[in-house]
Amino acid sequence: MIEVEKFCLENGLRVVVHNDMSTPVVSFNLLYDVGSKDEDPNKTGFAHLFEHLMFGGSVNIPVFDTPLERTGGENNAFTNNDFTNYYITIPKENLETAFWLESDRMLSLAFSKKSLDVQRNVVVEEFNQRYLNQPYGDVWLLLRPLAYRVHPYQWPTIGKEPDHIRNATLADVKEFFFKHYAPNNAILSIAGPVTTKEIIELSSKWFGGIESRPIIKRKLPKEPTQTESRSLEVERDVPFDSIYKVYHMCNRKNDDFQATDLISDILSNGKSSRLYQKLVRESNLFSDINAYITGDIEDGLFVITGRIYKNVSFKTAESAINEELELIKSNSIKEYELEKVKNKFESNFKFGEANPLDKAMNLAFYELQGDAKDVNLEIEGYRKVTSDKVKEVATKIFRKENCSTLYYKAKNK
Amino acid sequence: MHNINRKIQPTRHIPDKIKIIKANSCILPNGIQLFSVNAGTEDICRIDLDFHAGSRYQNKLLESRATMAMLSEGTQNLTSHQIAEKFDFYGSFYEHSSDRDFGKVSIFSLNKYLDQSLEILEQIIKTPTFPEKEMETFRIKGKQSLLVELEKVTTLARQEFFKGLFGATHPYGVSASPNDFMNLFRADLSDFHQKHLNSSQCTIVLAGKIGKHELNLIEKYFGKKGWGNATLDNIEFPQIAISEERKFYTPKEDALQSAIRIGRHVVNRKHPDYCGLIILNTILGGYFGSRLMKNIREDKGYTYGISSSILSLKELCIFVIGTEVGAEHTLPALKEIYHEIDRLRNELVSEEELDLVRNYLLGELLRTFDGPFAIADSITSLYEYNDLDYSFFDKTIEVIKTITPNQIMNLANTYLRNNDLIECVAGPISNQN
Repeated sequence: MIEVEKFCLENGLRVVVHNDMSTPVVSFNLLYDVGSKDEDPNKTGFAHLFEHLMFGGSVNIPVFDTPLERTGGENNAFTNNDFTNYYITIPKENLETAFWLESDRMLSLAFSKKSLDVQRNVVVEEFNQRYLNQPYGDVWLLLRPLAYRVHPYQWPTIGKEPDHIRNATLADVKEFFFKHYAPNNAILSIAGPVTTKEIIELSSKWFGGIESRPIIKRKLPKEPTQTESRSLEVERDVPFDSIYKVYHMCNRKNDDFQATDLISDILSNGKSSRLYQKLVRESNLFSDINAYITGDIEDGLFVITGRIYKNVSFKTAESAINEELELIKSNSIKEYELEKVKNKFESNFKFGEANPLDKAMNLAFYELQGDAKDVNLEIEGYRKVTSDKVKEVATKIFRKENCSTLYYKAKNK
Repeated sequence: MHNINRKIQPTRHIPDKIKIIKANSCILPNGIQLFSVNAGTEDICRIDLDFHAGSRYQNKLLESRATMAMLSEGTQNLTSHQIAEKFDFYGSFYEHSSDRDFGKVSIFSLNKYLDQSLEILEQIIKTPTFPEKEMETFRIKGKQSLLVELEKVTTLARQEFFKGLFGATHPYGVSASPNDFMNLFRADLSDFHQKHLNSSQCTIVLAGKIGKHELNLIEKYFGKKGWGNATLDNIEFPQIAISEERKFYTPKEDALQSAIRIGRHVVNRKHPDYCGLIILNTILGGYFGSRLMKNIREDKGYTYGISSSILSLKELCIFVIGTEVGAEHTLPALKEIYHEIDRLRNELVSEEELDLVRNYLLGELLRTFDGPFAIADSITSLYEYNDLDYSFFDKTIEVIKTITPNQIMNLANTYLRNNDLIECVAGPISNQN
């Protein structure tokens, strides 16, 4: 159970506080409700590029890292399709420095031309290194547009292509900042040896004076229901053939969500899971196989990926996967196996909350979805899933016409 | 409305003492020392069983590693698959490891299934059978992956470095080759298990949200009577064969990069110079803004990363600089590394740089207590290496806060003389001097 206290400043900044006395360090997490789904389809990769620019100095503080290092602090950030997250861990005694640094870059950036020039190159290099010059690196650049025809999940956080990043201008940067970076579009969460009282004081002092900004409510295009199966075959210089199958599934608020997640665990969480036991250990078709959900805020994807052994054809491999999916649809899952994946979920979830920084990140994420306190209801929600529900949801998802398949072929086979 | 000056950083504080949750220590009826850390907010815990069963004690190469890896592959009453199934059912995670000094197993468990998790763990520890089918898989996989590892210049340079530091046959210096995997048999593992995985060689660390019930469970499964064959062989630490040769080179023709390791033995953590060495090491290569990073990565662009560190072993510590550089940059990179060492010996570090390093290190020190498992790890490192106690942290803080630029220069002149450093390079031959 995570004890949570919340308050909201007049300018709309939501603040979540969790007291944990077992650490001398405070985790300070600031989430902005802007992700790559908010990008213009012709200027993709911008939310992530922008994250880099947030380290290029703010209106009153020329350098972000050094003052933080001088207080023994550490920081990093990440961007995904749904949101952008900045975090700092800092000795309790110096917590105010985190407020000083983060509030100044919420107030305004330095908008330096130099920083934009440098970071554009860095991000283009990141694009090359992680997505283009890496075995299997372009998989999601191929899969996303196959599965999504109109929804902005059709491009990955890095963007559709390096040119979108190369073309970013300082005017774009300024516009993006004032459109999305605002106290009324952010959630601050703090975990560590702190009291709510001192966090109210520090938040009001440093963030209170930042005025709220007009935030346009997002209207995302709805992805039309997929009505026929899609596939794509590519050939690349990689060691093994691989197969990727993705099915449309619900969003996190939907009643089917927990059952869907558990189905992915039945298939592939742990050495005793079905796909591992049958397709890796017993029949030796795959050297590695995985099933998971993207777990996005909007309607997401159920993903199955497998690395196929050299002498096995795509056809054999794919029908073996399909057989396992049919089994979940036709045979009710036994109580024992359902209990196993629920226990496994509970354990994963709780160990995911063992560290104060993980707790701070989780709280911000749950607050974004509605209420930070819901973090404590999650396990119960999974416990309620019945074997009938598993069968019903599996039948809904694992349909041919709901599936997109990528055949990723190794050259010179 | 607050009247604030955003141009000025809020006052910084340096803590005098670290306020941390300390571990309780007790001796179980069979003599095992149990450390327990009650911290955190979730009903979960981690149990580590730490044995004096590292590679230094083995008769054959890889015995320690194989024994630790094979414990969960079959016991008197459970097959490998049954063990995996049971751990999965209770949502427990099992891990094992082996280094030069210690062999370790850990369980991450929900408190409500701690009893069941420990019951499985007990069988794994006390009655493993090392079945032949799983042994064969271990041999083949192990050999394959070592063959891949040996293609990497990093592995070659590291192996050569330890050989150079200790001698080719010393237990801290020796490395396995792929065929050593094929030479491992059930009897070797049984023998190693019997000698080293028993209650007389074991320490237990329990961390998480724990109380009387959890402590009682540990005692029930591991603390009542002595278990295993408690032979008290006092294995002496063999003399180190220090070689006259200081420079070692391993050719790897087709490599794009050269791997470099430069270093030496240094004092262990009980020695008064140890804390100062940590600061010296940090300035040189111990953090992102270090001198080696600034010079060789940021300024020259020879490498993606370079660092130096102090590695703790039971008997002593090792100071090592490590990097992989573009092959054509090998000689210039070596030159710059020695240049940075020279500067430490001949120039006083500025107050500004020292201030940054002091604060960086204090933050790092505090982060080693961030959460229940981090606290447990810090306890483990204290008792594993030289039976230190908590005053070690207070002493470290004291040194971090008070060390002077002169003292740092003196340490550099004592510990970083070029003639005392071993240099190992693995990479294309055309780049050697």
